[in-house]
Amino acid sequence: MKIGLICNMGGHLTEMLFLMEAFDKHEIFFITYNDPRINKLNYKKYLLGYIGTDFCKMVRAFFKIFNILIKEKPNLIISTGSEIAIPAFIFAKLMGIKSIYIETWSRVNNKSRTGRILYFVTDVFLVQWQDLLKEYGKKARYVGGVI
Amino acid sequence: MWGELFREMIFVTIGTYIGFDRLVKKMDEIASNLNEEVVMQIGNTKYEPKNSKWFKFLDNEKIDELYNKADIIIAHDGAGTLLSAISLNKPTVIVPRLKKYGECEYENKFDLAEALKNKGRIVVIYDVEQLKDAIQKVKSLVYMPSERDKRLISFLKEYIATLDRGIKNGKKYQ
Repeated sequence: MKIGLICNMGGHLTEMLFLMEAFDKHEIFFITYNDPRINKLNYKKYLLGYIGTDFCKMVRAFFKIFNILIKEKPNLIISTGSEIAIPAFIFAKLMGIKSIYIETWSRVNNKSRTGRILYFVTDVFLVQWQDLLKEYGKKARYVGGVI
Repeated sequence: MWGELFREMIFVTIGTYIGFDRLVKKMDEIASNLNEEVVMQIGNTKYEPKNSKWFKFLDNEKIDELYNKADIIIAHDGAGTLLSAISLNKPTVIVPRLKKYGECEYENKFDLAEALKNKGRIVVIYDVEQLKDAIQKVKSLVYMPSERDKRLISFLKEYIATLDRGIKNGKKYQ
C-alpha cells in the first residue's frame, strides 16, 4: 500500500526517520519543507515553502497538498507534526484516507497548536509521553515514543 | 603528535533554528582551555568562533558522522538534535534556549530537557557559566545501554498490516 509521510523539517523529520522501519515493504512519499539537510533524503519527496503561522502561505499550501494527494492517492498518511500536516489531514478526512497523527516528542506535558486542531480530524491520535494523555481526550493513546 | 591523534572531540550543535550566540560564544571562550578538540555547528548564530572549528550547516550524512565521532555532545534543546545524541548514548550537555535572550519563540521545550535530565548520560544547564563544570560532570556519568523502545514501531506495523489486509480483501477500509 501507499503511505504519505508529512512533517516539518528539523526535529519532526528526524522523528519520522526514526520510524522508517515500520514502513518497510510499502510505497512511501514525503511532504516536507525545503531545507539544507533535505538533499540527502533518498525517498520520493514533495518540498513546500515554509508555512509557519502565515495564513496566506497556509492557503497556498492547501492547494499544493490537495494536488499531491489527488496525484498520489495514498491509503494512509502519518505525521510527526507540525502545521504542514493540517491541510493534508483535513483532505484525508474528506477523501476517506486513513490518518495517524503522532504528537511530537518535544511535547511532554502540554499540547501543540497543531495537535489541538488535528485531534478532531485524525483517525488515530498518539502521544509520546504518558503525562500528555491527561491533556487530551479519550481518543489519545500512548504506545511508546520514537526512542 | 600522538596526543593530537587521540584527542577526544566535543561536538556542539544548535540546529537549524534561530542562532544561539550565548552558547557558541561561551564554548569558544573555554575551548582553548579544554583538552578536547571542539567542533561547532553554529547555524544562524552571528558570532564566529575563533578558538574552534566551526561550520553553519551540513547535510544529514555528514552531521551523523560528527555525532558518531564525538565523545561529548553539547546541544540546544531541539527534538531532532537530542534524538540523535540520545540514540547514540553519548554524554550530552543540554543547554535550553531561553526566550528572554531571543533564542526561541516559545519556551515549551524545557519539558523535554527536564524529562531527559535523569536518563542516562545527560546534564542540563540553563546558565552557560556552568558549561565547563557540566563537561567534567557529564564525562563522569556511567554508560547505561538502554534497549530502544520499539512499541510505537510495532503499533504502526500492526496498524499498517491490518489496513493492508483490508485493502487486499477488497473492502473499502476496515
